[in-house]
Amino acid sequence: MIKHNLPLEYTLAEGWLQPFSSGILSGGAVARQCSSCTEVSFPPHRTCRCGDTRGSWITLDGRADIHYRTMGADGDFALVKFRGADTLCTVKLCNFAADQRVGQLRAATTGQSLPALHLYPVQEHT
Amino acid sequence: MRSPSGVTVTGAAVTEFNRRRDNSSFRDWSASAFEQALRMSGLERRDIDALVVASESDFFTLQLNPASVLASDLGLTGAACSRVEGGGASGQLAVHAAVRAIQSGHIDHVAVIGVDPSASQLDPATVKSLYSYSFDAWTDGMSGITSTALYALSFQAFMQHSGLGISELAEVTRQNRRNATHNPGAHLGRTHTLDEINQSPLIASPYRRLHCSPLSDGAAAIILSGSRLTPGARRAAPSIIGIGAASDTAHLGARENIGSFAAKTRAMQRALKEADIRIADIDTAELYDAYAGAQLQAIDALGLSDNIATDLLDGAFAPTGTMPVNISGGLMGQGAPVGATGVAQTANCALLLEGRYHPPLQPSALPRIALADTHGGICTTAAVTLLAGARA
Ligand SMILES: [Zn+2]
Repeated sequence: MIKHNLPLEYTLAEGWLQPFSSGILSGGAVARQCSSCTEVSFPPHRTCRCGDTRGSWITLDGRADIHYRTMGADGDFALVKFRGADTLCTVKLCNFAADQRVGQLRAATTGQSLPALHLYPVQEHT
Repeated sequence: MRSPSGVTVTGAAVTEFNRRRDNSSFRDWSASAFEQALRMSGLERRDIDALVVASESDFFTLQLNPASVLASDLGLTGAACSRVEGGGASGQLAVHAAVRAIQSGHIDHVAVIGVDPSASQLDPATVKSLYSYSFDAWTDGMSGITSTALYALSFQAFMQHSGLGISELAEVTRQNRRNATHNPGAHLGRTHTLDEINQSPLIASPYRRLHCSPLSDGAAAIILSGSRLTPGARRAAPSIIGIGAASDTAHLGARENIGSFAAKTRAMQRALKEADIRIADIDTAELYDAYAGAQLQAIDALGLSDNIATDLLDGAFAPTGTMPVNISGGLMGQGAPVGATGVAQTANCALLLEGRYHPPLQPSALPRIALADTHGGICTTAAVTLLAGARA
């Protein structure tokens, strides 16, 4: 057998996605709104589904509703819709009860460098 | 039926798919598949003008530019060589690249090799992380979601509009693994009980371990030839009559219909148009069943059934049924070395159309038209190939 040891540490430039990833680090959902059809995408689409590339960055409140959820040995994940967005987003669910349907992004903890789409449960009183 | 392509499958071979414990490497498996396919074609090494290699990831082979290394290994130095990569669709996309090269009129014979090692020497968490980069690593990747969880979310949406669910997942699992028991090269030939399937560990609801395909070691090879240049002894070889590919949004959540494999539908329409045939003309299909539910989603997207639940229970998709699906066992039964899967599907279809498949699985009435269907990501990249037997 031929052994290779290959420790890799990547630091990727965020480029066009910078507002999105820095938003997540600070606990916000920065989405893209199309100038033409006004659709709001989160995660942001560089080119809107209507074909236009022009748009602006808008900050949502980071609250999301679960549409589909999967649980098991791989973890607890969901497709959620952030309020104010028109597209769904995959997130990791952190400490959600089985019947919990609403969650919120949180700012990164000290020392955490990786932006993470992690959602924490919130109780809403109606 | 039209035959515009003029491309013949003169050679086809698939190695065993499993976890090798014999100190052999992806270079050995590639050589083995190539030698067998070349022998079947009746061609010589010097006849091969180009080599197209499908391999998904350098992380697993630890070899950049693998086509150049394989060209040297296989005695094809001097031939044009390149690699095609499109996630799980790599193999089928490599077949497409070879077909179009021959149709250009500048190339006569192309060898296509699909190969990937399962990288079982890496720890399972690392392998899982590496595969999660098959999706948009900069957005979906930030959730840490795994391949199985993303497929599970898509299947949940499919369940909602199709009415299919847990019992259909179990039946697909039973059929594919049972077919694989008759395939001597299969990774997971098994006879499962419903209890075994429904009690296997939950990975990402509704997917349990037995609903998932394994990662395998292995290779597949085909030799494609311009029809006018097919060696005399291979005049009865099947031909490729239509190919189609398409894409969908990289973000699952951006799709109009989360549970539908729309790229597959579009790729199929393109292939049918090129072949000038109808879906009803297809006699057998090798589908991309990375998960049991993905097979149901594929049958739906490809339009292979008007009532999937009934057809499944009635045995329509079994080897003796009216539309046999994954006679080989599919990815779930035969196994899944990623780059090899699409090439293996095409090879299986060609062997079935010639009546040269494993005898217990070869349909008694020779199929006339076969479909090979593959995709990458969460059906983000779809590629389908239609083949016809010489007598079709
Ligand atoms: Zn737009």
